[in-house]
Amino acid sequence: MSVYILPVLFIVLFIYGFSKKINTYDTFVKGAKGAISLVVSIFPFIACIMVAVALLRVSGITEFLAKCLAPVFNFLGIPTELCELILLRPFTGSGSYALLNDVYVAYGPDSYIGRCASVILGCSETIFYVATVYFSQTKVKKLGYAIPCALIASMVGAIVACLLCRIM
Amino acid sequence: MMLASLFVLIYVDPGATLTTMIDASTDALTLCIELCAVYAVWLGLLEIVDASGLGKKLAKLLRPIIKKLFKIDNEEIEKMIALNMSANMLGLGNAATPMGIKAMQAMDDKSGVATYSMMMLVIVNATSIQLLPSTVIGLRANAGSSDPADIILPTILATIVTTSVGILLAILCNKIKTRLARKKK
Repeated sequence: MSVYILPVLFIVLFIYGFSKKINTYDTFVKGAKGAISLVVSIFPFIACIMVAVALLRVSGITEFLAKCLAPVFNFLGIPTELCELILLRPFTGSGSYALLNDVYVAYGPDSYIGRCASVILGCSETIFYVATVYFSQTKVKKLGYAIPCALIASMVGAIVACLLCRIM
Repeated sequence: MMLASLFVLIYVDPGATLTTMIDASTDALTLCIELCAVYAVWLGLLEIVDASGLGKKLAKLLRPIIKKLFKIDNEEIEKMIALNMSANMLGLGNAATPMGIKAMQAMDDKSGVATYSMMMLVIVNATSIQLLPSTVIGLRANAGSSDPADIILPTILATIVTTSVGILLAILCNKIKTRLARKKK
């Protein structure tokens, strides 16, 4: 069902464009041109955050932190197995999906741990990546309370996710 | 953060340092090339949405919510945010990014400090408002789940929780900040 959503939306868009007498080819090209400069300008920021995250993982700091924080997470109802996933989630999208797959292999996708991990990943975002990319093209140096708010919200989401998986 | 990792690495495995960094940077470049392709398609379609006046219509529809939530009154920015949020809900995070960046640029007051509306947009984007966790469902199906889609309902509920907590916290922080500023005066 959901595979039809996008193609249908595109058809509607093009038909609407024709009805408004727009040269869709020229318009598309004009918009697509902006992609290269956009990517060129955000590349340094993405490279920096990915290097930092890779160092953090290889050095074993995340694993160590996950071990330290496990009692706190357990107290909040989050299984120990998911600590590293929750810690890495705000930093890396591809990395956390790789970890999710590891969880599926180790515990099975239909186990409590597997379902918890799925919901936690589905309800959260790569906070630091989003903040870096979104602020990268502005003059902002002080990010204010944007990141703490998002982090606390994701933590609450993770707790709720573990709770929901127990009853649903 | 980087410094701490470097110190630990010198102790644990000094040889891996540079290779790790270069590997990560290579990954970043691959990601950017992929993103460039994705952005080209979405920005092209977006231009059509914009030129046909569809963007304006969508913005009008979402205007009451956007105006209240982001405290802005500018048609161009409202349009960008409307498109950004719609793409997010469809689970198209990568399509949402270029419009989000444009909105951020337009909201920037060049003071060097993030404004309330900028922080709100980042928080909404960083707490995921997608309604269909397609990547997770795909991974579950690959891993041999008996019902890959049975996490949709809890995921939507949890997403609503994360986004609303994020928005409420932002409103709270803003209230505290304005109160503190008033006290100082």
